[in-house]
Amino acid sequence: MNILSIALKEMKQSIRNRRTLLFTLAFPIVLMLILGLALTNAFSSNVSIGDLKVVLKDSSGGGQLSQAFTGFTKEVGKMGVTFESLKSGMNGREEVQNGRYVDYVELTDQGISLYGSSRDTIESNIVQGMLASFTDKYNAASAVAQIEPTKTEAVFASGGHDYIKETSVNPDRTPGSIDYYALAMTVMIGMWAAMAGSHIIKGEITRGTAVRLVIAPVRKSEIFTGMILGGIVTNMLCVIAIILFSKYVFKAYWGSHMGIVLIVLLSEVIMAMSLGLAASYLLKGAVSSGIISIVVQLMSFFGGAYFPIGNETGGGMMGFLVNLSPVRWANHGLTEVIYGNTVSAAWPVVGLNIGFAVLFLGASIFMMRRREGL
Amino acid sequence: MNVLDIRGLTKKFGDFVAVDNMSLTVREGEIFGFLGANGAGKSTTINVVSSLLRPSSGEIRILDKDIMKQSRFAKMNLGIVPQDLAIYEDMTAYENVSFFAGLYGLRGIKLKERTIEALDFVGLGDKAKSFPKNFSGGMKRRLNIACAIAHKPKLIIMDEPTVGIDPQSRNYILTSVRKLNESGCTIIYTSHYMEEVEEICSRIAIVDHGKIIAEGTKEQLKSTITDVKDIRIELKSVQGGVVEKLRSIPGVRNVSQEDHVIRIHSDAAVDNLNRMLKQLIDAGMEIRSVEEQEPNLETVFLTLTGRNLRD
Ligand SMILES: Nc1ncnc2c1ncn2[C@@H]1O[C@H](COP(=O)(O)OP(=O)(O)OP(=O)(O)O)[C@@H](O)[C@H]1O
Ligand SMILES: [Mg+2]
Repeated sequence: MNILSIALKEMKQSIRNRRTLLFTLAFPIVLMLILGLALTNAFSSNVSIGDLKVVLKDSSGGGQLSQAFTGFTKEVGKMGVTFESLKSGMNGREEVQNGRYVDYVELTDQGISLYGSSRDTIESNIVQGMLASFTDKYNAASAVAQIEPTKTEAVFASGGHDYIKETSVNPDRTPGSIDYYALAMTVMIGMWAAMAGSHIIKGEITRGTAVRLVIAPVRKSEIFTGMILGGIVTNMLCVIAIILFSKYVFKAYWGSHMGIVLIVLLSEVIMAMSLGLAASYLLKGAVSSGIISIVVQLMSFFGGAYFPIGNETGGGMMGFLVNLSPVRWANHGLTEVIYGNTVSAAWPVVGLNIGFAVLFLGASIFMMRRREGL
Repeated sequence: MNVLDIRGLTKKFGDFVAVDNMSLTVREGEIFGFLGANGAGKSTTINVVSSLLRPSSGEIRILDKDIMKQSRFAKMNLGIVPQDLAIYEDMTAYENVSFFAGLYGLRGIKLKERTIEALDFVGLGDKAKSFPKNFSGGMKRRLNIACAIAHKPKLIIMDEPTVGIDPQSRNYILTSVRKLNESGCTIIYTSHYMEEVEEICSRIAIVDHGKIIAEGTKEQLKSTITDVKDIRIELKSVQGGVVEKLRSIPGVRNVSQEDHVIRIHSDAAVDNLNRMLKQLIDAGMEIRSVEEQEPNLETVFLTLTGRNLRD
């Protein structure tokens, strides 16, 4: 009960803080519009799915897998994904690196391996998504084969068309600039929860109201939980508002796994909130808010909030910084979920976020318990 | 019954001893005055009692129950009016009181009634829907009090509730303190204003350097200082340097000047009034009146601590 009333109080105050609220909502939407329009050309939409070329090496010796895969290539071929066999003297990886193919697929007795292009991430993801649903089917078929060999054919026969349906790729769908920024801005706003987090307890202390909370017959853990809960809900509502706005007003594409997308964003908000909170405990005084907002800006920048930062950056300092950014993790994972239909790409991101959240929250609780007051 | 029992309380900040082996008892129904100069350790003591700070050593009981072992009981029966305002400027007066009272387990209709009652009590009933950011200093102080009383605690500790406010709000607050007391609350009242403490407190403790140096009713406190006389001389005009000259007279402990009035604290045993007057007349000043005053709390404080309360 106390947790709830503290959370509600926190939400009420955030919503009344008109200036911050307006900024949190208007900034990403305006930026989405400006960047989305200004950078339309940067997102050449001439890469349609019809152009996808995959190079294939079959060293499985023409077994069951090979047969099934041939059926698969025919099906996806209708969608414009062409598989070409690797000719002798060709190196599959080099072909992909040189951009002649988006993926290099190898069939062996052990299974299927895929070498994807880091340049054409989206296209590569699409193929990956299709392959994933093929392997699911194939594994199911193998399982069936062990029990009822005669039914194997049936599984494939009935499932044939599903590769496409399951991946449900809109053939003309590649992220346009508005789509890109809708996602990038939403992810950035999720990260802004760190700034709210850095104020959440500190605000009570500077207003003097922490005193009243501590002297009330309420456990510190209840105060803590209520505050964080309120912060998470408020920030998540902002994120959802931005998604809805971009989806219905800007017609941005959000794919067909909205639930998964929201889970990833929720985990990001929780992580950001905890990061801000831990920073406010670790860094004394007014410095923490400043530092946190700089860190969030850097994370947004390197994470591709303002312009796409591709994989080409590869190694080096830039690549290192890019991969450090939680905004990048979320952007990357969500792109795969939305455009590649690879739901599984969400879980590593969620795992990382929750892992860090636990770490940051643990550190904050540890420090709070040792302190007098909040 | 003792509402508050402090035994051997010490609170250190690093090497600095803010409260030094303090013992204090407040009985039911009292308005207990807590007097001390800036930095004497009043707020620190209150903060330990309200469990904002952990004691370095010592024991504290509220209504005979240890505040560490039965902290919920202690907290339920305690209301604190903090020295620094503790209200949310972005929530209405009603929401402020209701939120804090809710933390004490009040719900529904009862919460509503108590909230309105508390606001009415401090005279903010008609401001329930207003935001404190538009309040005057006095109104904010009154809201600060309302937030501490809605849950009907047995013991209310007010840490300088009248600091920096207009006389009207001050009177309102003093009247409220009396009314609270009449309704059965025990009150500990901290203030820099002697007159306030003298007016409303039934018993007083004087704190200095974290220790209680005197305790009792105001009559008892005043009777302890039989060795000091307090002389008030009114002049037509005051010349510079005269205060220093008066200080050099044997027996004189302290001289202060406010407009045309000079106040002298001196050893009662030394006959030095004539020398004082001569000093003034020789300097060409015209004396309008001379009075020897009854000792008041200020004299007591000055005698015991050697300092003015509001230095
Ligand atoms: N958190 C703290 N850390 C270090 N020193 C402190 C802390 N809180 C108070 N002090 C010191 O303890 C002493 C007592 O402070 P306290 O606030 O209790 O005084 P006070 O009697 O309430 O004074 P005032 O009339 O100014 O409110 C002061 O010297 C103060 O500087
Ligand atoms: Mg104080």
